[in-house]
Amino acid sequence: MMNAHTLSTSLAILDDPVLPRVHDEDGSIKKQSAVAQMVTYALLSLGGLVILVPLYWMIATSLKSDSNLFVLPPQFFPNPIVWRNYLDVWTIQPFLLYFVNTIFITLLAMTGEIFSCALVAYGFARFRFPGRDLLFVVLLGTMMLPGVITMIPSFLIWRGLGRIDTFSPLTVGAVFAWGPAYIFLLRQFFMSIPAELEDAAVIDGANTLQVFADIMLPLVKPAMLAIAVLSFSGNWNSFQGPLIYLNSQDKYPVILGLYAFSQSISQEAPKWNYMMALSVIMTLPIITLYFRAQKYFIEGLTVGAVIA
Amino acid sequence: MAGYLLTLGDMALAIVGIALASAAAYKLLPLLGMKREAATGYALIMPWLLGFLIWTAYPILASLFYSFTDFNVFQAPNFVGLDNYVRILTSDTGFWPSLRLTLLYGALSLPLGLAGALAVAMLLARHVRGIGTWRTLYYLPAVIPGVAVILLWRWLLGTDGLFNQALSPLYRVLGVDSPSWFTDERFALPGLIIMSLWGVFGSNAVILLAGIKNIPGQLYESAELDGAGNLAKFTNITIPMLSPTLFYTLILGVIAAVKTFEPGIFIKLNPRTIGTFLQVLVYNNAFAGGNSRMGYASAMSWIMLAVILVLTLLTFRSSAAWVYYESDKKS
Repeated sequence: MMNAHTLSTSLAILDDPVLPRVHDEDGSIKKQSAVAQMVTYALLSLGGLVILVPLYWMIATSLKSDSNLFVLPPQFFPNPIVWRNYLDVWTIQPFLLYFVNTIFITLLAMTGEIFSCALVAYGFARFRFPGRDLLFVVLLGTMMLPGVITMIPSFLIWRGLGRIDTFSPLTVGAVFAWGPAYIFLLRQFFMSIPAELEDAAVIDGANTLQVFADIMLPLVKPAMLAIAVLSFSGNWNSFQGPLIYLNSQDKYPVILGLYAFSQSISQEAPKWNYMMALSVIMTLPIITLYFRAQKYFIEGLTVGAVIA
Repeated sequence: MAGYLLTLGDMALAIVGIALASAAAYKLLPLLGMKREAATGYALIMPWLLGFLIWTAYPILASLFYSFTDFNVFQAPNFVGLDNYVRILTSDTGFWPSLRLTLLYGALSLPLGLAGALAVAMLLARHVRGIGTWRTLYYLPAVIPGVAVILLWRWLLGTDGLFNQALSPLYRVLGVDSPSWFTDERFALPGLIIMSLWGVFGSNAVILLAGIKNIPGQLYESAELDGAGNLAKFTNITIPMLSPTLFYTLILGVIAAVKTFEPGIFIKLNPRTIGTFLQVLVYNNAFAGGNSRMGYASAMSWIMLAVILVLTLLTFRSSAAWVYYESDKKS
């Protein structure tokens, strides 16, 4: 489940550098001196190294032969480059099946989550009903509640329903709008849309659900996409749920397969090359999404800024 | 295949259930004299309302109830009063070391992490060419799955790992052996903190960066006219103006630190000696190795909540001294 932390991350990304900054336009920020710029670049590069060296090491390790994993001094450039590792990892455990499971869980939970949250956010943003503000405070309060409190009774509910070792506990809860942070963000977006748009549609005879689906949802599309990205990565990376609810291998998502593999490897000759290859494979979809979806985050802010 | 269909069926059932409840609210509430608009509102928030009752409100009450019982899934729960709480606090050999480890981890990783994130944010707020690309790069560690990050750092921090190799000249100068970060218990906590510090890049830095960019430029200009140096500008403008954001990240950081789970699962720590993370202890009691001490684990989760509440309250109490809200000043 997403928390407030990830929400504000998303909000912060909306504030992207490509947009013109107010300070820049009125010229109040002074150009830095050449020395200051050099220092900035040096520090940026230093930080860049701290980020990239571990990531490089992940990739380099994934391409090493077993015998080159522990040579001293460490081999910075894998020689030979063992591309086969990326083929082999699919066979040590049924990782292809794990991938299909991960995609199934992620897409189902994401779809359920974003549409139910949008519906609830619309209700909170546009309709007056007794107790609305109190309920919204309760909703925000649930963001602070540690999941460990509800973990055991939730497990027992699913157990009572005979759904342990199925995908249901990891997905069905999503349609109950389980992302309070998403509801909060979408509500902000809905509240910034002028009410005249809906009034016109209502006069034309549209009902609430039609207004929601045909007019409101398209208007908050950038926010929906931003939430979809967050929800996708949240469900893709989620570990504790699968760990608690799934027992049989054929139900595992990738992350649980990776965990099982990391537990089973021998202390004498741990296959770090395989583990890093699996980590790379697991990370690639998220990184791809991050690079591709940045533009949706930017659109999100642009729309918000225009309306506000 | 059957597994997928079963879950799709469950999902469809849940949606139908919510839709029926929604329709009932929409049709029936007006009969009870409620306005059409209010009934529509309730109908729309029905998914969350039901979800809150089923997946939050009931579990909170049930968990509190279980915490006073010896419930173990196989037998009906017997009421045992405060027994679980007393046993956790007095005779559980894993509890106090784990509380200590969790608190120490939070107390060290949180301030270091926030200071680092602030430094990164200040750096990313500088106006130099290509800063957008740098920001994209600096956010990378945050999008990498947490489990992959843990595995990567366990590998980097191995006894013969890259980290120790890179620092071996330093170890030689100091005349110490390469630490075995996660196998030697003396180094486990420092190892976990080094691992967590990679997180200074990423979400907190991005949040603080947004906060820095919201500080009005005029404040700095007038400070410069008054002859303020960089340090004075940092302590007198940046920090006070950023303090609400820092406060926000601190509160969330406190909660997140007490809830730390994945590192403790991937890196086996002996709960009796060095301790493990509290949530791992709850997990072990409730789910691991055929344990189903649901009552006992529930009591432990309430103790965790109490720890979180106390720490959050302390943070809130401290905020009056250092968090600056502009609206306070105006009123």
